[in-house]
Amino acid sequence: MSEYDYEALGLVAGLEIHQQLDTATKLFCACPTERREPENAVRTFSRYLHPTTSELGELDEAAVEESRVDREFEYLAFDTTCLVEEDDEPPGRVDDEALDVALQIADLLDMTVVDQAHVMRKIVVDGSNTSGFQRSALIGQDGQIETDAGPVGVEDLLLEEESAGRVAETDAGVRYSLDRLGIPLVEIGTRPDIGTPEQAREAAERIGMLLRSTGTVKRGLGTIRQDVNVSIADGARVEIKGVQALDQIDEIVRLEVRRQVELLDVADELAERDAAVGSPQDVTDVFADTDSGVIRGALDDGGRVQAVPLYGFDGLVGRELQPDRRFGTELSDHAKRHGAGGIFHTDELPAYGVTEAEVGALRETVDAGPEDAVAIVADDPETAELAIDAVAERAQTGIEGVPEETRDATDEGTTRYLRPLPGAARMYPETDVPPVEPDPSDVERPELLTETVERYQSEYGLDAGLAEQVAYGRRMPLFERAVDAGVDATFAAGVLESTLTELRRDGVAVDRLTDEHLLGTLRLVADDDLAKEGVDEVLETLADDPDLDPEAAVEAAGLAGVSEDEVRDAVADVVERNADQVEQEGMGAFSALMGECMGALRGKADGEVVSDALREEIGKRT
Amino acid sequence: MNPGDRVRVERGSVANEGVLMPSTTADHLVVKLPGGYNVGIDREAAAVEVLERDVYDVESAGEDADASTVEFDDDLPTVSLISTGGTIASTVDYRTGAVTAQFDAEDVLRAVPDLAGRANYRGRVVANILSENMTPAVWQDLARAVHEEIEAGADGVVVMHGTDTMQYTASALSFMLETPVPVVFTGSQRSADRPSSDNVMNAVCAVEAATSDRAEVLLCMHASSSDDACALHRATRVRKNHTSRRDAFETVGAKPIGRVDYDDETVTFRRDGPERGATDLAIAPDLETSVELLKFTPGMNPAALDYLDDAAGVVIEGTGLGHVATDWIDRIEELIGAGTTVTMTSQCLEGRVCDRVYDTGRDLLDAGVVEAGDTLPETATAKLMWALANRSDPAAAMRESIAGELQPRSVPWT
Repeated sequence: MSEYDYEALGLVAGLEIHQQLDTATKLFCACPTERREPENAVRTFSRYLHPTTSELGELDEAAVEESRVDREFEYLAFDTTCLVEEDDEPPGRVDDEALDVALQIADLLDMTVVDQAHVMRKIVVDGSNTSGFQRSALIGQDGQIETDAGPVGVEDLLLEEESAGRVAETDAGVRYSLDRLGIPLVEIGTRPDIGTPEQAREAAERIGMLLRSTGTVKRGLGTIRQDVNVSIADGARVEIKGVQALDQIDEIVRLEVRRQVELLDVADELAERDAAVGSPQDVTDVFADTDSGVIRGALDDGGRVQAVPLYGFDGLVGRELQPDRRFGTELSDHAKRHGAGGIFHTDELPAYGVTEAEVGALRETVDAGPEDAVAIVADDPETAELAIDAVAERAQTGIEGVPEETRDATDEGTTRYLRPLPGAARMYPETDVPPVEPDPSDVERPELLTETVERYQSEYGLDAGLAEQVAYGRRMPLFERAVDAGVDATFAAGVLESTLTELRRDGVAVDRLTDEHLLGTLRLVADDDLAKEGVDEVLETLADDPDLDPEAAVEAAGLAGVSEDEVRDAVADVVERNADQVEQEGMGAFSALMGECMGALRGKADGEVVSDALREEIGKRT
Repeated sequence: MNPGDRVRVERGSVANEGVLMPSTTADHLVVKLPGGYNVGIDREAAAVEVLERDVYDVESAGEDADASTVEFDDDLPTVSLISTGGTIASTVDYRTGAVTAQFDAEDVLRAVPDLAGRANYRGRVVANILSENMTPAVWQDLARAVHEEIEAGADGVVVMHGTDTMQYTASALSFMLETPVPVVFTGSQRSADRPSSDNVMNAVCAVEAATSDRAEVLLCMHASSSDDACALHRATRVRKNHTSRRDAFETVGAKPIGRVDYDDETVTFRRDGPERGATDLAIAPDLETSVELLKFTPGMNPAALDYLDDAAGVVIEGTGLGHVATDWIDRIEELIGAGTTVTMTSQCLEGRVCDRVYDTGRDLLDAGVVEAGDTLPETATAKLMWALANRSDPAAAMRESIAGELQPRSVPWT
């Protein structure tokens, strides 16, 4: 597929970046911001949620749709969570550390900080918040970042609580884990100033770099999430949630543009054909004797088959909008949203055990001609009815063009329907938390990681690649501590980046190494108590037994205490054993014997000391 | 400019358009932005332009104009819903930011659609106050209202009450009323304006209890942190034992008397009690309100009793088996000599008062103090108010069980 002319299409995109903060405690309670495994839960409880009106007396459409699905939510609680996460105790005041980090981020994004921040309740009734709302406060407005294709405005900076993590679907609803709930999260929303997929990715990378420059953001999978808002001229604003990888952003934008272009094309064609959506009706009788497994199964369980005639839609239901996603898939998404397994439609039938005769009878029953399509849902009577109505509604918006909605990103870069766009009606004040008046003069602007990379090159002489690797890496603060403690910068960078990576590849459990293990080991080398060559073995020993300290690990690895005299003796022995070779080759034997000497000393001695001794010893004989 | 106006507020380089909201501080304007966020803007530094007046009626927002049309069904029992205010019937006051009671019983029906189809409802508002503002006078109004509702044919009564002092009111009604139908108190620990409010399940379970066959005053609240069942507590044996949890209410000295399962909506009882129709409706609403509850603490000045000189009754929450410091005993004897009824309960809450074990206790008994057995201090306070106004020998009344408040046997595991 050739690339679109995005400017001609009127592409407008914006980003919402969600980043967890690495603070000591949660946003509204004193619990640690630690992630836990579901099997470590200490108790569980279950709840239901009911939508409520905003302070302006309005109900949010997204919340109402969510609550139509009556679900029971089960929550896992831990020894690291408290009654606040359980919605059984009012929230505390806004965490000071989180607010400071948010102010730092506002500064980095050139934003104006609000005079008074009001914590709001954003209604979310999918169970991911025990309260039924997410607490969120507007902290900064009106900022800007630079990209190669021009500046991108930053509309707002929000400080909010992270939701509970979804563990599993249960028979009755969903199981969530409370460890994540309440971790401070910043949400950064750009203006729709982005005009190409590449610029979207670059803007996201820039914001990611600024966030990491604070040194107080969480790292690892799921700690940063990108939402992308995309629309083209004549299309509609579509909010795509949960893009986990930065390098997916441009592809997501490309595919959403394609989807909207295709949907507009479908709409044009439907308009030309004077298409219309008929009334849903029960067509169970058509399938009374069906051999289709799906339909048979539903009917045997007391279900019904509902159909909606789509007049003038023939061929278009099967139209591909994105790779492997057709217009029919969109209809199916809406049916699934209301509990059905999916739909069948005439563009793909006969298939799935549905016979040509049944398709004919179906068309006849709903009065559909060859230019028309029919979509069907087979499920329990209530679900089938709800689902077919949702399908009819989505088909109707297909005639009009692109619907505004929230979509969910898939791993392939395509998207599926999630819910209607949430509106302002989902917000009302969190009266349990008094407003705060942030003081931006309280915080210091951190060094940008781009600046850090330059400093590592000019000050420490690291090459550009290693400097970037260290600065953007997880162990950057540790690297700084090591250098401050007198460890050679290139050596420290090599150990923290390359050595650890190699050890991990060799199956060493480097995750068990603490900052203190690493720093202590580096210091032993700096103090000449350990040879550089012995570092691998010490770290391996520590990973095997994390209770040891580095000194003890040196002992345990048998690397302790090789004096210069002992080195000389060992070197002399090697030279003596190879006297003939030394006589013939002189210094030419150096390389070969060096290896043998190091082997004899088993990495206990520093290579430079050994080479000096060896050079001296060979010199004596020639 | 007024709350509800659409405004444009310029402050420095930032311009915000939105709806002006009521502010809780004088120094800040609060504007609701199009995305729904509220933001506080320094009033002094802001330039405000009113774009459109009265876009929203902030004052009456949240009041639904459609009255519920509840149809009468002959096959269903009639339950009277009586509102006294409190969290179950409350919403947020956006002027003060506080949660206040603004709903009447009709609103509760609208707020809890799940109540439909379980009973025919009659709504009645006796008070609209937070329960910390409750007084014995309102207890009396409530008792009369419940009496009238039952007289008018209610098959059960649900009283919606703030949780802070629910146990006092429920206890008081236990003494003032003899009822042939269930009278069930309920409330909520999380306000009704949040999706996670416990009001829905508590209200549904209370109605189920009110249509059951147990004719006594009960308190119906979450049995655990989960939305799976409510516990039914005997009104005279229950206490709010937690500030914020959904399952804050606990029966002291026994297990809860019953339970309503939310899933299958069944009401079960673990101990016997008066059955529907077994008792004739009666009311004895008089109260002697000159009664105080006094908690003794180590080193407390006996002058605290000076304030109680003219009291008709005093409930002491003593230490352990029912003690106060020795230097209090003479003052207590004087009080009793002057005509005050003094009764002893324990701040242990669990267990029975016994003043025969230690010298201090024996001296208190000699001074005329009445042991309240295992009656809870709060219940004893309501009971003493009632006994002083309705019994010729209030002291004797404090030693016997009138409404299940004084358990004859100490069997807390039942």
